[in-house]
Amino acid sequence: MNRTDLAAGAIFLLLGAYVLISSFGFPAGMGPLPGPGFFPAVIGAAILVFALALAAAGLRGAGAAEFRLENRPALAVTVALLAGCLLLWDVVPFAARNLVFVVLFLRFLGQGWRTSLIAGAVMTGAVLLAFQYGLRIDLG
Amino acid sequence: MESEILNGLLAILHWDVLLFLLAGVLLGAVFGALPGLTATMGVAVLTPLTFWVSAEKGMAMLLGIYCGAIPAGGIPAILLNIPGTPASIAATWDGYPMSQQGKAGQALGINALFSLTGQLVSILFLALAAFPIASFGLRFGPAEYFGLALFGISLMAGVSGGNVVKGMLAGMLGLLLSTVGLDPMTAYPRYTFGSSDFLDGIAFVPVMIGLFGLGEVLGQMADKHGHKVKAPPALGRTWPKLGEWRRMALPGLLGSGVGTFVGAIPAAGGDIASVIAWEQARRLSGRKEEFTKGSPEGLSAACGACNSAVGGAMTTMLTLGIPGDAPSAVLIGALLIHGIQPGPLLFRDHGELVYSIIFLMALAALAIAVVGLLGARPLARALRVPDPWLWAGVTVMGVVGSYALNNSVVDVWVMFAAGLFGLICRKISMPLGPLVLGLILGPMMEANLRRALILSRGDWAEVLLRPIVLFFLIATLASLLWPVWKRFSGSSSRS
Repeated sequence: MNRTDLAAGAIFLLLGAYVLISSFGFPAGMGPLPGPGFFPAVIGAAILVFALALAAAGLRGAGAAEFRLENRPALAVTVALLAGCLLLWDVVPFAARNLVFVVLFLRFLGQGWRTSLIAGAVMTGAVLLAFQYGLRIDLG
Repeated sequence: MESEILNGLLAILHWDVLLFLLAGVLLGAVFGALPGLTATMGVAVLTPLTFWVSAEKGMAMLLGIYCGAIPAGGIPAILLNIPGTPASIAATWDGYPMSQQGKAGQALGINALFSLTGQLVSILFLALAAFPIASFGLRFGPAEYFGLALFGISLMAGVSGGNVVKGMLAGMLGLLLSTVGLDPMTAYPRYTFGSSDFLDGIAFVPVMIGLFGLGEVLGQMADKHGHKVKAPPALGRTWPKLGEWRRMALPGLLGSGVGTFVGAIPAAGGDIASVIAWEQARRLSGRKEEFTKGSPEGLSAACGACNSAVGGAMTTMLTLGIPGDAPSAVLIGALLIHGIQPGPLLFRDHGELVYSIIFLMALAALAIAVVGLLGARPLARALRVPDPWLWAGVTVMGVVGSYALNNSVVDVWVMFAAGLFGLICRKISMPLGPLVLGLILGPMMEANLRRALILSRGDWAEVLLRPIVLFFLIATLASLLWPVWKRFSGSSSRS
């Protein structure tokens, strides 16, 4: 049994079912002409069919290798740092937000403090120069 | 026609347009040469830099990145045995052994010169074949466009690393994402969950940046510690001798022809082209035993093929609006932002623009050949950049670029979500190509099917039994059943 394909198949089954059911809530078309729900209904049905095929392949044990994530702490920190940056978008100015992100990101991936600070300052400065002053986009 | 050619040429002969082209080529060279950065990622991440300039300048930069990244992908393939882009996979087979034999400079020279040959051959094909194909495309009505879009999606699934089910699921997901926003016919909101941010649909560029930029960065982080950077070898001379030219000319041209043809097939990009061309060159060679041991013939065929796929892919993209490979899929989204809609109408209404694109590609090919010959040493040194620096740079550019599209944090969240989804797709071996194609072709497929049904007053037979539609439907079925048939015929022959 390939648990990765089985789990992916199950998730897609749920998604397909949701899309199919929700498409019935859209207004009907005029006469023989399809309405706004027609295309989502076809897509939902197709997702259901292919999800079943994927789950069946997972049960048979065929398919790719199992889902594995190496380097999980670094991934988790990156995702958390990015999410933090986005949540603080309107609160903290871009320069500070970006500098902290790059420095912490590089530090966590094993770079030294000095290297991380220099790289963070250079990247932040380059982006500010190109976007804020060059292209006149307010990065906040 | 002559005036269109002349106007197309004059439109790009401005110092600022040429400067943007050169900047694109250099950036493309960096994205192609650094393992972990790809041509697709380069086009996706750097597209926002072109929003605020004219269409000519934006196009010049994006085409420069695309045409520059593919040849540069051969540099780490030759020096480090790591393909810089997927297209340069076959360049490792003979390029790296040459490098180990102390012929690194010669291999880089072959890469630069046959990349130029490949690109010029395919650009010539584009110039000669595109207008006839586009004029045939002008006969297409809504029903035919529906058939074409369906065929495009099925092809992507069929060549998705042999996994039709996952490819089709990814394609369906792309189609589903394309339905978000107002219905094209009735303006009824679909899957917006009450948010006005999604009434215009999901922005294409942030999704691309997320899937191919952030997703790739997270994917590399999740593969332990990425590649180990080792010192590149000494280069030596780069220019081949006359005798070597004679040996390489035929396989190089063969590779260029094969690459142009394969590249023109939707979804079959430079990676497939270079593998096929390398194998054909090996079969025809009188020195088969040298292949995989440092054969200049094998390297010239591989380099010619992966680069000629660029022009082939652009032919399909410009004439029919169907991307030939992943970078050209992203390029479609970028061109749309500049108000350029690829397809037959582009040739009828803006013929001079098509010629501008052809001239820009030719200039980019010449520029990257010069960069490849003269800049091989600094690019070889640049290969030592540590992965975390690249990852930080791509992530920052991805965040800022997504925001810059509409000055909207929602777009950055979309990019973030697409990046996480891209990571999961990589880990469960789900190809991203069909998703992108679904997202691009979804609106074309739905709107044209519904228009065709309105024209036929709801008569499905009238829509589906038109000759060209029927041809596309049969081709769709064939492309879906081909991998299944291949699998069963393979297993029966094994048993």
